[in-house]
Amino acid sequence: MASLRVAVIVKMEPDFSEGNVSYNSDGTLNRAETKNILGPHSAIACRAAFYTKVIYGAEIYVATMGPPIADSALQQAQLISNADNLYLFSDRIFAGADTLATAEVLKTGINMIQEQGKKVDIVFSGHRASDGETGQTGPQTAWKLGYTFLGNVISYYVDIENRKIRAKRLISLQGFYDIIEEVEALLPVFITVDPLYKANYDTITQRLAFMKHRKEASKKAQDYKQYLNVLNAQQLGVDPKLVGLPGSPTIVYKVEKIPKAKPTRRATMVDGSDRGQIVELATKINQVLSGAVVE
Amino acid sequence: MENYDVAIIGGGSAGLAALQHLSSLGKQAVLIEAAKTVGSKNISGGILYSKKPKNGKVFNVEDVYGEQFFHDAPVERLITKYILHTTSRDKLYSIDLTSAHKYQANFGYSVLLNSLNSWFAQIANESAEKQGGGIVPGVHVSNILFDEGKTVIETDELKEFGVKAIIAADGVNSEVADLTGARQKFSPEELYQGVKVVVKLPEDIINERFEISSEEGAAHLFAGDVTLGHIGGGFVYTNRGTVSVGAVYHYDSLMSHPTEPHELVDALLDNHLVREFIKDEVPIKEELGHGLSKEEQLKIRFGASKLLKTWDDLRTEFYSVRGRRNLIETGKYKSEQEIKARLDTIYHDLNTKYGIKFSTDYVELEYSAKLVPDGKRCRMKRPFLKNILFIGDAAGRGIFIGPRIEGLNVGIDDAVRAANAVSRSIERNNFSSDYMGEFYTKSVEESPYTRDMREIDKDYLKIFLDAAKGVPKDIIGSRYGTIIRLMSSGTLRGLAVGFANMLGYDRLLPLVESEETYVQVPTELAERLGRLVSATYTPKIMSISQRIANLQYDDDSVSHIRIIDSKSDFMKKMVVLCPTKCYSSENDEVTLQHEGCIECGTCARETQWKHPRGEKGIAYRYG
Ligand SMILES: Cc1cc2nc3c(=O)[nH]c(=O)nc-3n(C[C@H](O)[C@H](O)[C@H](O)COP(=O)(O)OP(=O)(O)OC[C@H]3O[C@@H](n4cnc5c(N)ncnc54)[C@H](O)[C@@H]3O)c2cc1C
Ligand code: SF4
Repeated sequence: MASLRVAVIVKMEPDFSEGNVSYNSDGTLNRAETKNILGPHSAIACRAAFYTKVIYGAEIYVATMGPPIADSALQQAQLISNADNLYLFSDRIFAGADTLATAEVLKTGINMIQEQGKKVDIVFSGHRASDGETGQTGPQTAWKLGYTFLGNVISYYVDIENRKIRAKRLISLQGFYDIIEEVEALLPVFITVDPLYKANYDTITQRLAFMKHRKEASKKAQDYKQYLNVLNAQQLGVDPKLVGLPGSPTIVYKVEKIPKAKPTRRATMVDGSDRGQIVELATKINQVLSGAVVE
Repeated sequence: MENYDVAIIGGGSAGLAALQHLSSLGKQAVLIEAAKTVGSKNISGGILYSKKPKNGKVFNVEDVYGEQFFHDAPVERLITKYILHTTSRDKLYSIDLTSAHKYQANFGYSVLLNSLNSWFAQIANESAEKQGGGIVPGVHVSNILFDEGKTVIETDELKEFGVKAIIAADGVNSEVADLTGARQKFSPEELYQGVKVVVKLPEDIINERFEISSEEGAAHLFAGDVTLGHIGGGFVYTNRGTVSVGAVYHYDSLMSHPTEPHELVDALLDNHLVREFIKDEVPIKEELGHGLSKEEQLKIRFGASKLLKTWDDLRTEFYSVRGRRNLIETGKYKSEQEIKARLDTIYHDLNTKYGIKFSTDYVELEYSAKLVPDGKRCRMKRPFLKNILFIGDAAGRGIFIGPRIEGLNVGIDDAVRAANAVSRSIERNNFSSDYMGEFYTKSVEESPYTRDMREIDKDYLKIFLDAAKGVPKDIIGSRYGTIIRLMSSGTLRGLAVGFANMLGYDRLLPLVESEETYVQVPTELAERLGRLVSATYTPKIMSISQRIANLQYDDDSVSHIRIIDSKSDFMKKMVVLCPTKCYSSENDEVTLQHEGCIECGTCARETQWKHPRGEKGIAYRYG
């Protein structure tokens, strides 16, 4: 029996990395054409969960709410976290959900996992999504679950015996940013992971476990469907009034076009194999630095 | 503090064999390797041999990894042809030395160390895991402490840990040896510098050019004026879909009249026979979309490079038996004709749509360099200190005799012997020098490889004498005349070799390993007896800066090398001898830019030299 049980909630997002984004003619995001991936913040949450796998041998559940194709995000999440179970909450009636309605589905999902007699000690989520940017889903899910909420965590340590967690969080205080606060809380907790999160594996035993679990993860992820559970609204037993559009008090009034940056700078390509062009570039740099460069 | 039974430091082919063997003996061991992925810091020529000496036994690669070596190991080609060419400009005189290659050998495969070592690592790691050990990559050992009967290992990345025994397999520039004072740094007389480039060439073309089948491989060796007057020689080894072209030169000879290392490979690439060996159809990189707007130019270049890649990938597949079969079996193409037709279409499109022309040239993939220890001169006579056993290059153990360069098989043999010694010590819980170190030393001394580092093998010598029968005596010169006469009779040969061995390699080497042997005699041979070979093109040899730009590094912000005396003669020579031009000289002072360092060790002798921290520095793709 694993001594620690951990859930990660992740989100499939459009791939915003260069060259992968596609726009509609009106300047909004073309969701159909843009490749979908596991969101970068979700990936960080998975890395944080992987730490519990390596260090405490935790049992890991990864859950997401999304369309059926979101299973590929779960596969990526499994590859990073070496998760034991994958949950996809997918139903038409979930469409149009705002953060609160999403939190309702996630909460129900996690509770359902717990009802199978498996208490979840820590829930991880990214600190926000790249396409929604509200950063609300996490805290709202925590609130609905009734878990202690720890935001912007950059590292943590679990005291399994005393069922306590000690975490470092990045906060801003009286106008100063990047203050590190160390907090202790009783399990269960809900953690949103800061992008600066760093896992330290600093003993031989930990490194060996790290390598072992990474290998295991890639084996599992190749066969991820075997670990996948797809559940609809009815199977989850959610209240239809609390999910999807009906469950969403937020109304998106208008989405601004993705503004095209005004070209204030002009880039010139320099071919590195052309000596002439390099000399030209060097001359320009020299001019800009008003001759400060001697040679 | 954590404690483990055994730490193996360094995951080259020697360290990995030690891990595999120890694990197979049921012992727990962890292997620490600085590279992010095992194999990415190792280079070789190289031919991996398995040997069957007449007297005594060596432990071969297949003894360590078992039958699966033959089925799964990513070796390149079984070498079946071994030819020495002496050169004088475009003249060549060739001697078939296949019998020297086959001498006491089960087999010799050409290999690329990155893929081979990562396969070894996968197997060894699985075995080690079963014993509670395994491989820890990305960690650099920085110190070893002996503290109240405990041996403690410090690293740049992890908390210190204790061990009962250490196997040092950290290569020719062993920091373990340095840190513990187990031996002096090797001197130029004891070393060779090896430089290699990997050249791309489709499999079928290799078969045709080198007159071999897919199940065969060729090794061509070069001596004469291609050496640019240095003691050493060049080689061309066929891999599956690449060719390794390299040069290995006596470091002392390079110190006495410094030549930039890449020039030695370039001289080989420029040789007319080598040019013909490696030539291929290569797209000419010209500026595309001349006269168009920048945006249009970019579009065109993008399209062209995409199509070029498709052409290149498909062509590589098409020109290999396995590739062709694969394309048809996976249903991508119905027949070979169809693939050929597709290739022709792409070729035509490249030509007409993008104006890309093709010419004859060669394609270079990777440049690499490393020092190699000459075991005749520098093997550690007692390869241990306290509870640390040294193996492979770290122990200065490699065979350099004429064209024989063997470090891989020697390292594997050492590894088994060291693992046996450590295993025995674990069982007795006795890691003392007397029990472990001495036992290992005795075992290594018994190895036929050590015999090869100590004395001349008259039967091996005879192969060369027989091969040189046709050579006019006056070329061999007055110096060798007597030797040859002595050697040509069986009884006299026995006596002569016996006498020579009594003198020992130390006295003999200056005579045999001389410019006369490696440069003058071969050059004269080629000049007088050689055939003309004239290449059909002049290769555009990659510049050293292009070569460095093609390498992959993870730069460390802190330099792993510190100059001690920036005005010394040694450092001035490094400006020329560093294979990646990390040193430059200004106002009589030598300065270092460590970012381009490929960790060859050439500058190690008179600098404060370490490997970069874990995961940092060079990462080869071929090796
Ligand atoms: C051009 C050339 C041609 C050659 N041709 C042949 C040939 O044809 N046949 C043949 O048998 N041999 C050949 N050799 C020799 C052969 O390649 C070597 O003998 C062999 O690779 C050495 O293996 P090794 O395991 O002892 O050392 P290495 O392969 O050098 O491995 C040492 C490892 O230790 C790691 N390391 C070092 N210091 C530390 C530290 N402090 N902490 C953690 N890790 C560390 C390094 O990253 C490296 O991976 C050739 C060599 C060269 C350069
Ligand atoms: S700096 Fe030294 S070790 Fe690095 S590549 Fe140059 S000579 Fe080799």
